Amino acid sequence: MIRKSIIESVLQKALSNGADFSELFLEDSVSSTMQLLDRKIVKSISGNDYGAGVRVFYGHRAIYAFTNDVSEKGLLTVAEAVSKAETGDKRTEIIDLTQKTYDSPHKVLIPFNSVPIQDKIAFVHSIDNASRNFSDYISQVNINYMEKYQNIMIANSEGLSTQDQRTYARVYVSSIAFKDNQMQTGSEGPGALMGYEFFNNVDPEELGRKTAERAVKMLLAEYAPSGKFPVIIGNAFGGVIFHEACGHSLETTSVAKGASVFADKLNTRIANPCVTAIDDGTMLNKWGSTTIDDEGSPTQRTVLIDKGMLQSFMIDKLGGMKIGLPSTGSGRRQSYKFAPTSRMRNTYIDKGPDTIQDMISSVDFGLYAKKMGGGSVQPGTGDFNFAVGEGYLIEDGKISKPVRGATLIGNGKDILKRISMVSDDLELAEGMCGSQSGSIPTCVGQPTIKVDEIVVGGRKKIA
Amino acid sequence: MFEKEFQNIHDLAKKHDIKHYDVYLSKSKSFSVKVFHQDIDTFSYSDSLGLGIRIIFNDVTGYSYTEKLDKESLSAALLRAKNNAKAVDYKEKVVLVNYPAIDKDLDIYNKDLVGIPLEDKINKAKEIEKVALDSDERIINVPHALIGDNEDFVKIANSSGLNTEYSSNACYGFSFCLAKEGDETKSGYFEIISRDFSDIIPQKISNGASQKALELLSAHEIQSGNYPILFNNEMAATLLGTFWSIFSAKTVQEGQSLLKGQLGNTIAHPIVNIIDDALLNNGYNTRPFDDEGYPSQKTSLISDGILQSYLHNTMTALKDGTISTGNASRSYKTSINISPSNLYIKPGLSSKSELYSVFPKCIEIVQLSGMHSGCNTISGDFSMGAQGFYCEEGQRKYPIHNFTVSGNFLQLLKHIVGLADDLKFKLSATGSPSILVENLSISG
Repeated sequence: MIRKSIIESVLQKALSNGADFSELFLEDSVSSTMQLLDRKIVKSISGNDYGAGVRVFYGHRAIYAFTNDVSEKGLLTVAEAVSKAETGDKRTEIIDLTQKTYDSPHKVLIPFNSVPIQDKIAFVHSIDNASRNFSDYISQVNINYMEKYQNIMIANSEGLSTQDQRTYARVYVSSIAFKDNQMQTGSEGPGALMGYEFFNNVDPEELGRKTAERAVKMLLAEYAPSGKFPVIIGNAFGGVIFHEACGHSLETTSVAKGASVFADKLNTRIANPCVTAIDDGTMLNKWGSTTIDDEGSPTQRTVLIDKGMLQSFMIDKLGGMKIGLPSTGSGRRQSYKFAPTSRMRNTYIDKGPDTIQDMISSVDFGLYAKKMGGGSVQPGTGDFNFAVGEGYLIEDGKISKPVRGATLIGNGKDILKRISMVSDDLELAEGMCGSQSGSIPTCVGQPTIKVDEIVVGGRKKIA
Repeated sequence: MFEKEFQNIHDLAKKHDIKHYDVYLSKSKSFSVKVFHQDIDTFSYSDSLGLGIRIIFNDVTGYSYTEKLDKESLSAALLRAKNNAKAVDYKEKVVLVNYPAIDKDLDIYNKDLVGIPLEDKINKAKEIEKVALDSDERIINVPHALIGDNEDFVKIANSSGLNTEYSSNACYGFSFCLAKEGDETKSGYFEIISRDFSDIIPQKISNGASQKALELLSAHEIQSGNYPILFNNEMAATLLGTFWSIFSAKTVQEGQSLLKGQLGNTIAHPIVNIIDDALLNNGYNTRPFDDEGYPSQKTSLISDGILQSYLHNTMTALKDGTISTGNASRSYKTSINISPSNLYIKPGLSSKSELYSVFPKCIEIVQLSGMHSGCNTISGDFSMGAQGFYCEEGQRKYPIHNFTVSGNFLQLLKHIVGLADDLKFKLSATGSPSILVENLSISG
């Protein structure tokens, strides 16, 4: 995208006041989004994001600046700005870039622009129809369709120069059921690192029906009880608890600051032996995969927890320097407007030997949180609070009835020790993860798991 | 600036047979430096530019944006917007007009700000941290000592001949510090924003923040119950900034606002006046026109307790059969929405200290937390964590903490019984004087 000699002089300029490392990140992305609401396409926006970010390290400190003036003059202005953040010894270094190419295993078959927009519109309408046809209680369906190409180039003062193209496809569906001033939502948001072929493999009927079914089921359900009891957490999006309450604490961004409860726990037991957890950026065409990370390191499959023992953190360049470990290819960022930090990719608890039936039979009184909803985590402490999107009461070893309004309240560190059974129905679910370096595509995932005890906040109906 | 690019767009639009469109360009530069332990902790510099195109075709709107302004990219963006318009089936009347310019010099750009040496900014940030730490040994940490500035350029043109632009800039200083005594930690922050770098006085910022943290130490708990509440100016502005969307005509038309159907009705105590003024002297959001190019104005939303107007852009105004209030807002990446400019509650005549003596006892609130999870902007209900002072006999008696204040924003407006003369704006450009509310529920 830019001449090699210009890149070299930008990297040199950025180093000139004594920085230890300089990096240039260049992005040229094209994306389109479409929103369906009230049975109508209400919005259609597409755009081109184009710009560059320059990062330098002074010891363990990073300085970042960005611009979308990517002319030689514009880039040199930014490089000069970051170089002036600190004054060390003047440095003149000749940087000689070597082009490195990584073949992407994530093949794209159907380019988005080869598909007429009418087909895309028909696709979202058929999801909408399927949802509304499921029940008269469905009062609104909100669908967001997204397609994106992200082209990036990375070069740094270590002589690396490389690039990557990422192709993203996703559709997010929320069906809202309404009755007597009560509202419940059922959502699904499948996506992949793929071209339009991804949408061809999604069954719009099933997607619409599934979200509607969940919304209606919860609308008609009784309120969940509160108390402390065993909870079985469903597969796929159930992994959001591990992601939020444990995953973020295993990123060097929090480990290096000492802000993580796991900071000094490498090679010690942090979970029940039935728990193995993996962060894998190499899974074929998965939403959270990339060929290289946003610092130009090849992505990896990183085993975080092996049979209960903490094996590895998720490490980016700067975080790795701070804790003295090599990068795991986990440096990610939303766009050129963000400096990279260590982030998750496809993060999941691995499958185990148990079955859901065994889990349910083992519970006298408890909750089956089949589908999790949103939640929040207190950063330093790992205390979490998650809504249950689809829940059932378990009584005498059997599922007795659907319940709504339940929240799970606990602590990431404690819950890992209380996972006692893990089934074999591992599935991943797509999401957008927001943190210091912006909002990025990640997968959460797990098989169905049993946690021996969680505080369930139910809601007592006020008469 | 960018005349050539805009001419290219007009030429290309003609070529692609696009008749009704507008173009929004924004270029913003921002800089900030944060100091920690007298070293630079973070340093950020950005220069970003983007151009958004809106095309109207048979009452439907298509959008596209680009961060590349070469002819080829502009042509691609126009075609994408045209295709997007074909995809949309939501119909909305949009009228594009060559609006007149306002007849006032707003003085929102100070060219002297551009040349401030980097070193001076870094030194001020260091000074903010140092003064706070030196001022009192109970100040144990200054997690944020920050100096920054930004510069924005906006240019808007449309197919009816509008072609207008403005630049604005500002600088700011901010401090957030922690005070500790025994096991108790309290925090305080203070900010100054100005178009004159010499207004950013580190001592004022540091002392402002540390005083706020220190005065909350040795806090007591408070018994649950209903009390008269005195929100200080910053917290009253925070409340207004949280609930402003009830005034948005878009929210009203979507049936998501409590103020639907209330025009002309008394919705607040007769002493309450709420104003949105995009022409305000020295306002942070002062500007000659909004993001549709519509000329700025001063709009009375509540006058003597009566709801006078909503905040409109031209599209919501057309739907309601009225005219825009110049509150269209967008970024180059998004569609057009509505935002306030400088939104504030008009100050009263009493001094703040007079408000302490209106009731035999009251609670003064100086910090609020949980604005996002604890406030429902649709129902108006709020329940927020708070800190402040128990006041009796016309003065503060002791600091209090660990309590929540709850109520409903509309009810609150009706029960404002006192307004001080200390109007203050936050960085978000919402402002308020300290307000005294008759009766709110406190749980400790």
